[in-house]
Amino acid sequence: MRLQPHLLVMNNSVIKVNNVTKAVAGRRLLDDVSFEVAEQSLVSLIGPNGAGKSTLLKIILGLDTQFEGSIVIGSKERVQYIPQLSMTDEHQLPMSVYEYIAIATNRLYSKNKQNVDFKQALIHVGVSAEKLYQSYTSLSGGERQRVAIARALLGNPTILVLDEPLAAVDYASRSGLYELIRHLQQDHKMTVLLVSHDIDSVLPLSDQVLCLNTSLHTDCHPSQFVTEGGAGSRTIHHHC
Amino acid sequence: MAVLTGMLGPFVVQSRQSIASDMFAHVALAGIGGALLVGVGPWWGALPALIFVSTLIWWLLNSGRYSPDALAMFFLSGGLALALAFVHVAQDTVFSFENYLFGSILTLTFIDLVAILVSTSLVVVVVWYFWYPLLGATQSPRYLIPFRRTPQVVQLLFFWLLAIVVWVGIKTIGGLLIGALLVIPVLTARSWASSFKQLVVLSTLVSVFSVSLGLITALYVDLPPSSLIIGMAIGLFILQAVASSARRNKRV
Repeated sequence: MRLQPHLLVMNNSVIKVNNVTKAVAGRRLLDDVSFEVAEQSLVSLIGPNGAGKSTLLKIILGLDTQFEGSIVIGSKERVQYIPQLSMTDEHQLPMSVYEYIAIATNRLYSKNKQNVDFKQALIHVGVSAEKLYQSYTSLSGGERQRVAIARALLGNPTILVLDEPLAAVDYASRSGLYELIRHLQQDHKMTVLLVSHDIDSVLPLSDQVLCLNTSLHTDCHPSQFVTEGGAGSRTIHHHC
Repeated sequence: MAVLTGMLGPFVVQSRQSIASDMFAHVALAGIGGALLVGVGPWWGALPALIFVSTLIWWLLNSGRYSPDALAMFFLSGGLALALAFVHVAQDTVFSFENYLFGSILTLTFIDLVAILVSTSLVVVVVWYFWYPLLGATQSPRYLIPFRRTPQVVQLLFFWLLAIVVWVGIKTIGGLLIGALLVIPVLTARSWASSFKQLVVLSTLVSVFSVSLGLITALYVDLPPSSLIIGMAIGLFILQAVASSARRNKRV
């Protein structure tokens, strides 16, 4: 299979990345990256460590403004971001699941209503409502990721951005978590952009797979891999 | 003072800004020196200096060009240098930095007490009202995307609160010891709490207990009250460390 160099132009795109280049101390982290993300699609950005995935994500989110090119996101879009989770921060002070969720929900309604909403959000992502008042650090990696998703969903996003959602999750919980993300994306009619280096997990669930290694190499549509009997995944690894 | 440090301490430790209290204390000394030059009450001169520098530090941190520890050292040593220069130029032979470095809790006037009471009330009300925004802004300000600039603005509010606590602290416990009262109660309480709210309550209790015990001891022992207060806080930390260790061994 021959994968085409990527530059998709869409009419219904909600994120437009135009010729983004970023260099630090003479080294190019991103080189002329352009792509568009269609509304209500699930797009995976894959690539090896150091490929510039997280850098590109920070630029898209507006956390890094030192770059060339442009990013266009509709002013009416509500973006929620779930950063890569860390399980090894021993200096993290105690925090309950309730507090973890509440710090990102800027709502000023009654606490009873908030309790109900928080519990429903937890159940929605497959976490027991009883965990709401437990310590956040007592949760497993998979549960923490699900709680992070619940927190993001309470912001009623139109765009959900996830950085390495499986990084702190054990192998057995991985497929279930990706299926949850796909299910929620369709259920909430969201656009999802996720970064991963685990192509085998993201490929079956993605509408579009972008392969990044400083520059964007290919547009890897999953339907192509179905017809090619999975050969494409090896091609992507080769390009990355 | 104990309530202030107990309440704000967990936010300070969580934001990894423990050294900021020391930096603010040195900036306060520059403000005190400046006040001496213009003939204003020294303690009152520290407040505008603290508010101005805390805003400047917030702006510099948000520019992303400087690391927090480098900025802390810059203002810490810069503040001290300015303070020494101002005091030298003012040629006030009566003035002594010692009262502000190590506190003078037994020399507070009625006006001082009123100012401390008003400041304490202000900080408690603001922390209470902005509880979750402060929690978010001190935990991961850059990653709370939906609010765009809000976490940064709340972070400025946090710096102002810390500046006010240090301002109260230099008059009571002393500029060099305020950091201990902000940090040690949090370290003492952290392994006994399962939520941030519990941590704040326990830190405040530890802080109040340390201050009370230190002041009572000062009535009978000929040592500076501030030293005794910090000594009590350290003693409580050691006690809980031993108790925590015993609790862990019992579980195993």
